[in-house]
Amino acid sequence: MAQAWVLGQRALREAWRTPEALIPTLFIPLFFLVVNVGQAAKIFPGETTDFLHGQGYGAFQLPSSLLLAASFGTAALFLVEDIEGGYFDKLRAAPITRTALVLGRLIAEIAKGGLIAALIVILGVIFGISLASGVLGFVLLVALTALWAAVFSGYMQLIALKTRSAAATNSGGLIFFPLLFLTPNFVPRDLLTRPMEIAATFNPVTYLMEAQRSLILEDLNWSKIWPGFLMVAVTGAIMLALNVRTIQRYD
Amino acid sequence: MSSPNSAAIDAEGLVKHYDDVEAVRGVDLRVRSGEIFGFLGPNGAGKSTTVRMLTTLLTITAGRAEVAGVDVAREPDEARKRIGVALQEAGLDPRQTGRELLVLQGRLFGFTTAQAQDRAKGLLELVELEDAADRLIKGYSGGMKRRLDLASALVHEPDVLFLDEPTTGLDPASRLTIWDEMRRINERGTTVFLTTQYLEEADQLCDRLAIIDDGVIVREGTPSDLKAELRERQGLDRDPTLDDVFLDATGRTRSRVAGDVQEVK
Repeated sequence: MAQAWVLGQRALREAWRTPEALIPTLFIPLFFLVVNVGQAAKIFPGETTDFLHGQGYGAFQLPSSLLLAASFGTAALFLVEDIEGGYFDKLRAAPITRTALVLGRLIAEIAKGGLIAALIVILGVIFGISLASGVLGFVLLVALTALWAAVFSGYMQLIALKTRSAAATNSGGLIFFPLLFLTPNFVPRDLLTRPMEIAATFNPVTYLMEAQRSLILEDLNWSKIWPGFLMVAVTGAIMLALNVRTIQRYD
Repeated sequence: MSSPNSAAIDAEGLVKHYDDVEAVRGVDLRVRSGEIFGFLGPNGAGKSTTVRMLTTLLTITAGRAEVAGVDVAREPDEARKRIGVALQEAGLDPRQTGRELLVLQGRLFGFTTAQAQDRAKGLLELVELEDAADRLIKGYSGGMKRRLDLASALVHEPDVLFLDEPTTGLDPASRLTIWDEMRRINERGTTVFLTTQYLEEADQLCDRLAIIDDGVIVREGTPSDLKAELRERQGLDRDPTLDDVFLDATGRTRSRVAGDVQEVK
């Protein structure tokens, strides 16, 4: 873990010195939050819409913005730069575990994802969203978002390692949009049409979104929270294993 | 550190295939501890592929290789502790400072932060980059990047240093600086494995050299022995240059060598 932490610190320095790559991860999700609320808030007024638990539609939409913020995967594009510039080979030639090589960037993604998530939630609170689950709920919400940032970044790193191409890695990131829209993004799952409900049920991002949403709209409801954490734990373990295997076979 | 009589690199029948392409077709190499060994060849001859196999960066299709007494395929991490690598493109992170890069490299090799900082300071002095140490690498010149890359390969005081075309693209002054540093490093006991396209460089620096062409070694020996062999074999009335040896070994002619006669295209 010491080696992973050293590499994580380096990735954080890299992010700090490239604010141009970090700033859009804050503003684009906020833009979508404003636009989605502007388009649908009148259809779902807080006073008469049960699934909003007395809050405005912004509270229901906040998880989508958090997920979007955590799904830019810029770390993978930095990895492509390392590969193209030869620094990745320098790291591969060092006696560090291949797991540390993968985890370094993912640790940095967790830190960045947590920071961005906290900022978005705080901005949401300033504009009237309240967290029904309190301070612990805030911590869990930020942690869940940060862990998803690492999972998605792990997926994009996998594409980067396989293709060694910035264009392919960037395009691979677009898978997030079908994953986001095949969820109960605008209404709860039981209000979706049957085909959409089936698709959402098979989409792991649904459980993450529902866990986040419960933390915002309800008091701590563990039956909805744990599936979200289970999902990031399982997908995170899969991504880590695939990344390590790819680096071990990297020629 | 290996003893002077031991082999720093011992490779037998090294082969590398990429799908249908045979990049390296059975290379045998024995590099003595403490020498500067030159590895020459035209573009695409298999130089970099061989280096990448010896430095654990490429899997080996067939054959075996030991560097500093360690089998690179069986114990890659142990081998990595004993080798330093500066590849064709200076592998640096442009968003770090020179000092940060060296400290990071030290930490990856198990140094404490204080030890890594001390080592970085010493290396920055060695490659004369103290003044630029705290500037971002993206602002360094090509020569400065090469020197920093060299320093980063030396952080852990490796037994064997692999330098893959370390002076390609450098101006003559920077090239001479790198040569001086290579000699200094070698004088401290580090074996240097140098791949280069510059024959003058090999002639100036190398104790022995091998020429690879089309994935196989076609000549091996000291520069003077190789020249003497060519003179005798061809009955020349003048001393041949290393260019002549190279052209003879690779079946190329001067008319096929574009531009600077020192650089084989």
